[in-house]
Amino acid sequence: MDNFLQAIDTLTIRFALTAVLLPLLAFVFNFLLPGRKSQLAGWISTVAILFSTVLSISVFAKVWNTNHVVHQQVIWFTIGNTVVYAGVLLNNLSVLMLLLVSVIALPVHIYSTAYMKHDGNLNRYFAYLSLFCFSMLALVVVDNLVLFYAFWELVGFSSYLLIGFWFTRDKAVQANKKAFIMNRIGDIGLLTAVIILFTQFHTFDIDKLFGSGNFVSYSGIHNGIWSLWGNLPNNVGGVWVRGNFVQLPAIWQYIAFGGIFLAVAAKSAQFPLHTWLPDAMEGPTSVSALIHAATMVAAGVFLLARVYPLFNDIELTTLAIVGCFTAFMAASIALTQTDLKRILAYSTISQLGYMVMAMGIGAYTSSLFHLVTHAFFKCLLFLVAGIVIHQMQHIKEDNELDIDPQNINNMGGLRKKLPFTFVVAVIGALALIGLPFTSGYLSKDGILIKSFEWTDGRSGILKVIPVFAIITTWLTAFYVTRLIVKVFFGELRLLNIRAGINLHLSDGNWQYKLPLALLVIGCFFPLFSINPFLYEQAWIFKGLSNAGGLERDNVYHTIVPIGVNILSVLVMYAAYAIYIKRRNNPFPQKGVLFNLSFNAWYFDTVYNKLIVKPVLLLCRSAFWFDRRVVDGFVKLIAKVGIALSKLADWTDRNIIDGFLHLLVAVVKGIGNFARMFQGGKVQYYLFSMLVIILALFILKVVI
Amino acid sequence: MISLTDFLIVSAALFCIGLYMIVSKHNAIQILIGIELMLNAANLNLVAFGKYDKLNNGGQMFALFAIVLAAATTAVALAIILNVYKKYKTIDPDRIDKLRD
Repeated sequence: MDNFLQAIDTLTIRFALTAVLLPLLAFVFNFLLPGRKSQLAGWISTVAILFSTVLSISVFAKVWNTNHVVHQQVIWFTIGNTVVYAGVLLNNLSVLMLLLVSVIALPVHIYSTAYMKHDGNLNRYFAYLSLFCFSMLALVVVDNLVLFYAFWELVGFSSYLLIGFWFTRDKAVQANKKAFIMNRIGDIGLLTAVIILFTQFHTFDIDKLFGSGNFVSYSGIHNGIWSLWGNLPNNVGGVWVRGNFVQLPAIWQYIAFGGIFLAVAAKSAQFPLHTWLPDAMEGPTSVSALIHAATMVAAGVFLLARVYPLFNDIELTTLAIVGCFTAFMAASIALTQTDLKRILAYSTISQLGYMVMAMGIGAYTSSLFHLVTHAFFKCLLFLVAGIVIHQMQHIKEDNELDIDPQNINNMGGLRKKLPFTFVVAVIGALALIGLPFTSGYLSKDGILIKSFEWTDGRSGILKVIPVFAIITTWLTAFYVTRLIVKVFFGELRLLNIRAGINLHLSDGNWQYKLPLALLVIGCFFPLFSINPFLYEQAWIFKGLSNAGGLERDNVYHTIVPIGVNILSVLVMYAAYAIYIKRRNNPFPQKGVLFNLSFNAWYFDTVYNKLIVKPVLLLCRSAFWFDRRVVDGFVKLIAKVGIALSKLADWTDRNIIDGFLHLLVAVVKGIGNFARMFQGGKVQYYLFSMLVIILALFILKVVI
Repeated sequence: MISLTDFLIVSAALFCIGLYMIVSKHNAIQILIGIELMLNAANLNLVAFGKYDKLNNGGQMFALFAIVLAAATTAVALAIILNVYKKYKTIDPDRIDKLRD
């Protein structure tokens, strides 16, 4: 029986691995594909992700709610006594994410084949897109923190490539640089956390740390020391863990949390690292859809879910506060933006804030549930935005207008031109607001109720969190309605600029419609729960929550959804009334609050002033230092060297050679002097002999 | 009475004249003459000292030999001078310097 189970597990793992590796294969193929613009590239990637989706569904069906964690690993490398394993870990969380990523990626791929059809670098686009999907799929199935980190980086890198896909635009280059640098900050945090966890627990294995082994839940802080409980159950940890156990000061636990928080903030665009996400809109819209729905930003929440047992109460409260603040801040910014994609981007930040807040208040399952439902309707809304922008671009090109195709002030009345798009957009918007019968209702409901329950036992400032969460919901209702009304209702405002322009608008072919149709299914409740009002009955909720208490045991379960939704509907009606009746800018476009919101709370300005400028200054001074001092020193050394060698040259030439020449001259002189006597004149010889003899005689006589 | 000293003085004078000629003259024949003068100075000495050997007359005999030998060497020397003249078209020993370098 065990063998049989083992064989089933192996098969499941193979399926999962194939699902992960197919996009990588597509990436390689597309990279090797000749030419730059081949329609084949799109179909290679799409078919790869289609098979991935099918395999993911089968893996999901095998693993989901079986209480059986599929986990297999092989030895990756050994350093000293430390053996690092690499493997695949499939539990409820990872198969859910595996399914979600592939299911969201599939419509985006189909959509991209049409949306990017006229782009000159189609092959590169699909290669990057496949790489992106591969890194995200791999991220969710790996069982090891080192591999997790590697794919985490790869997700960041491939998103960098995609955001800067139109790298000839300066804004896109700035945006992808910003995204990359922000993500680097998070990556450093994650790396720090991984290293600290390894120091403490001596393993990278996610399953051992947070899953079945659950070392983390046996550790705690006592007297300022972070240690394991004294009486470990026998089935927890190996002998080697106990033997090698290191007691760290408590501060390290908080540093590990800080690192993970930074990583989450960077990837999932939480305050203070959220500013890259709106700028990331410079990428193709289909990429934005993928980044915002299921891949990039979901990675942060997924990380939180993976390491959830690590956090203690203070840390969870921090998460809740940051998440709540992010949600509110982003929603308030979305109120005044005029760029279609930026509104959706801030909406994403806001919804991610909800998820992080939900993690913080202990609504673990609701958070992931919201991640899943949000993936569907946010992807849908982005694809709709893509179609709208595409059509506006057409109008702009056909009529040679000088307009921003993404500015919602130019749109309006598109519901008649794009009926199908309009319908799915409205459904997506309702789901985003969270009205009943949509999936957004189910997941958001869970978070809001839990936030009230959470504050029950707490006091003071924390009571504010559910209030702000609910205000954010109403803000969401307002800006979503504003968006829909401005884009689809009323009259096309372009006609005010110039009457009688050509309008060739259409919903597009099946490559546009099919993805929207697929995603719109995910916006309704039946996909998640039979009962449209009770989130506790959603299968995702049941599958992820391990605790029992599913009863509606307090009054919040009734009051919160009813109150929130009645007010939401009122807000929506108000927004509709305001924007449909008074077409342009019913609110004064000035004032402190408007400026605050319109300028995105001045985060970019402040960051530029406080961080970017000093850093640039530092860079410049470092550059100057390098140029002047370091280079100067090197050049000085070079000059000294040259001078020395010149001196040596002179010495060689004049002193050493001179000595030799002198020697030669002396010898020559002596030679010449001696030669002088050998004149060849016999008489001279005789004469000299005579002189010498005479001299001798004279000497003899004298002396 | 002519004393031995007179002979020796004449001989010394002859020798000196011959030596001077050898050193100073620019003509090989004149140099040869100088050599002969010196030879004859020597012969004169031999003969002058011959009075101390009356029994054998060694001095005279030796002088005779020397005269004969001198004649022979003079012949050879003249022949050399002739050959030198043929080769160099001069008999000035200063200008016969092909052996120098």
